[in-house]
Amino acid sequence: MASSHASRTLGRILAMAGKEVLHIRRDLRTLYLALAMPVLLLVLFGFGISFDVDHLELAVVDQDRTAVSRELVRQVTASEEFVVAWEGTSPEQAVAELRRGRAVAVMVLPRGFSEDVARGGAQVQLLMDGADGNTATQALAKAQALVDVAGRKLAGAALPAPPLEVRVRTLFNPNGRSALFLVPGLAAYLLAIVAVLITALTVAREWERGSMEQLFATPVGRLEIVVGKLLPYLGIGLLQVLLVLTVGAWVFDVPVRGSLVALGLGALLFLVGMLGQGLLISVVTRNQVVATQVATMTSVLPSLLLSGFIFPIENLPLPLQVLSRLIPARYFVATLRGVLLRGNGLDVLWPQLVAMTLFAALMLTVATRRFQRRLD
Amino acid sequence: MSAAPEGDGAPDVALEEVRRSFGATQALRGVSLAVGRGEVYGLVGPDGAGKTTAIRLMAGLLRADGGRVRMLGEDPTHPRSQVRESLGLVPQRNTLYGDLSVDENLHFFSRLFGLSKEDFAARRERLLDITRLGRFTGRRADALSGGMYKKLALACALLHRPRVLLLDEPTNGVDPVSRRELWELLYTLVHEGMTLVVSTPYMDEAARCHRVGLLYAGELIAEGGPRELARRHGVAASNFEAVFLALVERRNGGRAA
Repeated sequence: MASSHASRTLGRILAMAGKEVLHIRRDLRTLYLALAMPVLLLVLFGFGISFDVDHLELAVVDQDRTAVSRELVRQVTASEEFVVAWEGTSPEQAVAELRRGRAVAVMVLPRGFSEDVARGGAQVQLLMDGADGNTATQALAKAQALVDVAGRKLAGAALPAPPLEVRVRTLFNPNGRSALFLVPGLAAYLLAIVAVLITALTVAREWERGSMEQLFATPVGRLEIVVGKLLPYLGIGLLQVLLVLTVGAWVFDVPVRGSLVALGLGALLFLVGMLGQGLLISVVTRNQVVATQVATMTSVLPSLLLSGFIFPIENLPLPLQVLSRLIPARYFVATLRGVLLRGNGLDVLWPQLVAMTLFAALMLTVATRRFQRRLD
Repeated sequence: MSAAPEGDGAPDVALEEVRRSFGATQALRGVSLAVGRGEVYGLVGPDGAGKTTAIRLMAGLLRADGGRVRMLGEDPTHPRSQVRESLGLVPQRNTLYGDLSVDENLHFFSRLFGLSKEDFAARRERLLDITRLGRFTGRRADALSGGMYKKLALACALLHRPRVLLLDEPTNGVDPVSRRELWELLYTLVHEGMTLVVSTPYMDEAARCHRVGLLYAGELIAEGGPRELARRHGVAASNFEAVFLALVERRNGGRAA
């Protein structure tokens, strides 16, 4: 009796899922939205968004005009992180270049610089364009480091070794490439949008065209409708994850260093949560236009701003930090970075997986409860 | 039309003092009716009379604000009610999947009703035969004519051999020939022992029912056999519109609807 009940339930779930697959096959736009768009956006964003600061235009004010001052300029620009965009002796003219946007930094080597180097007390002045805060901060750090290294080389053995030396080594992303940092976050962000949007649309469509009425007149249960409708999109979502990670590895050299089990589990839990969120939206709105707007508002902005994708969560104001704990993309971004870059496994990432499980369970429970098998 | 069969005890469909509102609008104001086994019951009334609300309450798609709805003795809105297995519904709107073919729609609903492959094959053949949809099995539902679409909706609702079939304005937007064909089809089902509740705004269709309930502004203003109602008002059964207008006039205190 129980087994026949279970087999009928399974039969109805598979019927719902099969019907959904037919819809997807008939309307390839869904498949495009699900598969092609994330990859396209990943490539566009991956190349477009870069916090890497390179080939910065430098205005050089060399008032010393000696071999030593020229050597310093050569060494500072050797790595091509800075390129000389203007050269002269007037600081006012150099600042004018800065103002016109033709240079982002001015390096002033004052008269008597080479003698000061020999004595061990030389000064170099750096003027930065602070209009672009991110570039200014990074350019300043780079310029300071370059001048420091070049200065030491110029002073040679004449200078005593400093009493304390810090050796910095950046792990996991030693070259500080933006793509490595961004692609995992971007993958989570894109999956969040697409999964919530597709589910919200597909369930709202059933309400809108009245087919929910026909379904409710059959013995199919609400959980069977929910599970059956979500199964194909879960499959598509997992395919998305694979596709995005493959493109990430292929185009941006993003590695996979950690546990594939943790990665798979994380992706599954995240997707179930996102599909649950989409379902809840469609159950409440019952309208495709409103569902699209709500889905966009509740998945795009939080996944972009509060997931740590671009802005480090530690830098957010405290209320937003607390709010970010409710955003599953935060945990998925952490899982992806953990597995891909840090080589983490379940032993480290389990709290992220637990958080995503709780979110998914909450969303599906609330959505199923709100989803009454009636039209009122 | 054959005479109404004798009831064998409890009615298949029973509404007792049923009330239902949507916001400030009272869709049904204490409607009571009972439909016996094998009967064709017509819910006749103009648009906005409460026909669709009554059908939806019978199908368990809505909950009544007051009163009692019993289908085959059960509350159709009860979560554990098994009565849905014995009900068929043809809604007023086109609610099938337009992008699925005739065959795909039939197959999908057969799976929801738990039909075995063999049973489905037999039912499909029989239903395609009586609806004459056999030549259109590969056609998308949204490419069917109005009459063919209704026949497909009917076929989907009949797959599981329901005991009670609820039809909400099945002939709405259907040409006269298809209308006649649909009614012939419904009589075939009645001969097989099915109970039918049909809502319609067309007064001439009242004559096709064993009994009719005249709904007006959420109230059942008259009930009985169509000939009996016509005789009571001194008009021919074929001119049922006159019966309806007379009843509405009386209810409104001399003013017509």
